[in-house]
Amino acid sequence: MSIDVKMAWRNIWRNPRRTFLTAAAIAFASLLLIFMISFQFGSYETMINTSVKIQAGHLQIQAQGYQDKKEIRQVVPDPKKIGLILDNIPDVQAHTSRATAFALVSSRDRTYGVLVVGVDPVQESQVSTLANLIRTGEYLSSEDLDQALIGKLLAKNLNVKPGDELTILGQGRDGSIAAAIVQITGVYSSGLDNFDRSAIHIPLKTFQDVFAMQGAVHEVVVIGKSLSDVPAIKAAIVKQLDTSGQSKQLTALDWQELMPGLVEAIKLDLISGLIFYGILVLVVAFSILNTFLMAIFERTREFGVMMAIGTTPGRLTKLLLIESISLTAIGVGAGMLLGTALTFYFQVHGLDFAGSSELLSQFGITGRMYPKLTLLSLLIGPGLVMAITSLAALYPALKIRRLKPVEALTHN
Amino acid sequence: MPRKSSAALIILALLSMPVSPVLAIDAKQLVEDGFNYWRGQASVAVVDMTLHRLDWERTMTIKAWTLGQADSLFRIIAPPKDNGNGTLKKGKEMWMFNPKINRVIKLPPSMMSQSWMGSDFSNNDLSKTDSLIKDYDHTIIGTEINQGQTVYLIESMPKPGAPVIWGMQRLKIRQDLVFLSQEFFDEDLEPVKIMTASQIQMLGGKIFPRVWRMRKVDETDQYTELVYRELEFKASLPANILTVPNLKNPRR
Repeated sequence: MSIDVKMAWRNIWRNPRRTFLTAAAIAFASLLLIFMISFQFGSYETMINTSVKIQAGHLQIQAQGYQDKKEIRQVVPDPKKIGLILDNIPDVQAHTSRATAFALVSSRDRTYGVLVVGVDPVQESQVSTLANLIRTGEYLSSEDLDQALIGKLLAKNLNVKPGDELTILGQGRDGSIAAAIVQITGVYSSGLDNFDRSAIHIPLKTFQDVFAMQGAVHEVVVIGKSLSDVPAIKAAIVKQLDTSGQSKQLTALDWQELMPGLVEAIKLDLISGLIFYGILVLVVAFSILNTFLMAIFERTREFGVMMAIGTTPGRLTKLLLIESISLTAIGVGAGMLLGTALTFYFQVHGLDFAGSSELLSQFGITGRMYPKLTLLSLLIGPGLVMAITSLAALYPALKIRRLKPVEALTHN
Repeated sequence: MPRKSSAALIILALLSMPVSPVLAIDAKQLVEDGFNYWRGQASVAVVDMTLHRLDWERTMTIKAWTLGQADSLFRIIAPPKDNGNGTLKKGKEMWMFNPKINRVIKLPPSMMSQSWMGSDFSNNDLSKTDSLIKDYDHTIIGTEINQGQTVYLIESMPKPGAPVIWGMQRLKIRQDLVFLSQEFFDEDLEPVKIMTASQIQMLGGKIFPRVWRMRKVDETDQYTELVYRELEFKASLPANILTVPNLKNPRR
């Protein structure tokens, strides 16, 4: 250990209480940042997973332009062919087909315009959580009957319960009038108000009959093994569509393209988070700056003596920088240790958000939330603290270069 | 100062008056007469409605009864798949009937802006036909000559507070009261869609356009065309025609 490092180390512990407090401030900032960033990442993952699992899926294959216009004529004509392509992509976990149309749905005495979704009862349960969201009644049976699942809020609006009949009146793919009577088998509640208020689900075969779909569907919904597999799956699908000459009619959209609102919400939250973290780090940086400046004023005589016996200003700067970096490192190290422990605890046990606000429930956050510790969320906060405090320490360290030995010696 | 400015306002108002009140009354009268000429007292018609889209076209045949300015009944008679589907409109209310499920559904207000049977007509276009007369002030903004007849260009602005859908309408009415076109503008006075009439000929005992075409202004190869096969104007209709029970009765 060089003499400089040794001296720096001893200087740090010359005033243990001050050192401890400064390090504690840095540690606290690091801990807070690690926890909050991990929590944010965790909540994003919850939001994405909930939305993905309830509705959109990781990816969808649709007709070009369907995402914008949602016209019943914009179809995927042969979902079986797409299914074969998907079966050969290893990262695909499950897939299903859906068809949707806007139609009038009436109960005995009330009528609403809602989205009618045709789902394959068996495959749908592997892709989405629809089957698990049934609160009263039952999920669709695997035989194709004139059945329907209805969202809780819509059921309330239409004043219906399982066993009641619903009338669907809309327009088929060929422009003909589509009409059907279906019986409600179950009521689902997802926590996503919009989803629970605006849709009914009927078996895909029934949908295709009623709306004259001729075997076509509107969306082929894909779930990958994990969120991070999505880009690879998308690339594989696009390539397959290209080689089979279908890329003119069909397109593959990932969850970001399917749910631009969710992406915007995450961006907004991330930015407001970043502003808060910036302020936090700045406050810590000023306290560090203060500590170092105080130390210099206190130690002016000492620096005078050192310069008088031949220490160069450069070496003094180096000494002070080693001191400040070590101090920061102690704080950041402790903060990372504690932060990891705290975050990890909640990652396992979760934070209770039951009865959460309406805003959160829009994104499907209703129960426990789990922060997610990643290398990124572990390093961003402490890295930021390290960088800003080192910058703050630079000023006093450079300031002492301008000390004059004689004046410094007489300083009290 | 306030007195002065209010005096100035009155003078301004007086100055702006002479946009010929005679013409303004004329415009209102012209639109009302044209509208009544178009609708007749009552009418029975058979119309082919063609939905035209870029890659696709479909024609339905509709039998239509109208009475006065606000009431009507439409029933699809072809193709067979849709036979018997009907829409009844009385005042501002609308009902739809489908024979397959044998139910009459009353349209909720939230559905009024949706398209009617997939066409470029919205339910509002059907249900608020008389709104043009009741809710708008009309001004003649110019004239042109069409087949030797004078055509009046009329700008219709909604009356303050009137429950209207359009921010402005522009009409072309020929001097013999034939409607040539009706253009619909949104609140920003941007054109949204336009209905044009053509093939003006003797129909149902009067000069009448045989073909009506509704087209969104920004879509050129997407329109809905109505072609009259038969048209008969009557003095009135039997009382039981424009009723919900009759909507369900496919024999008429």
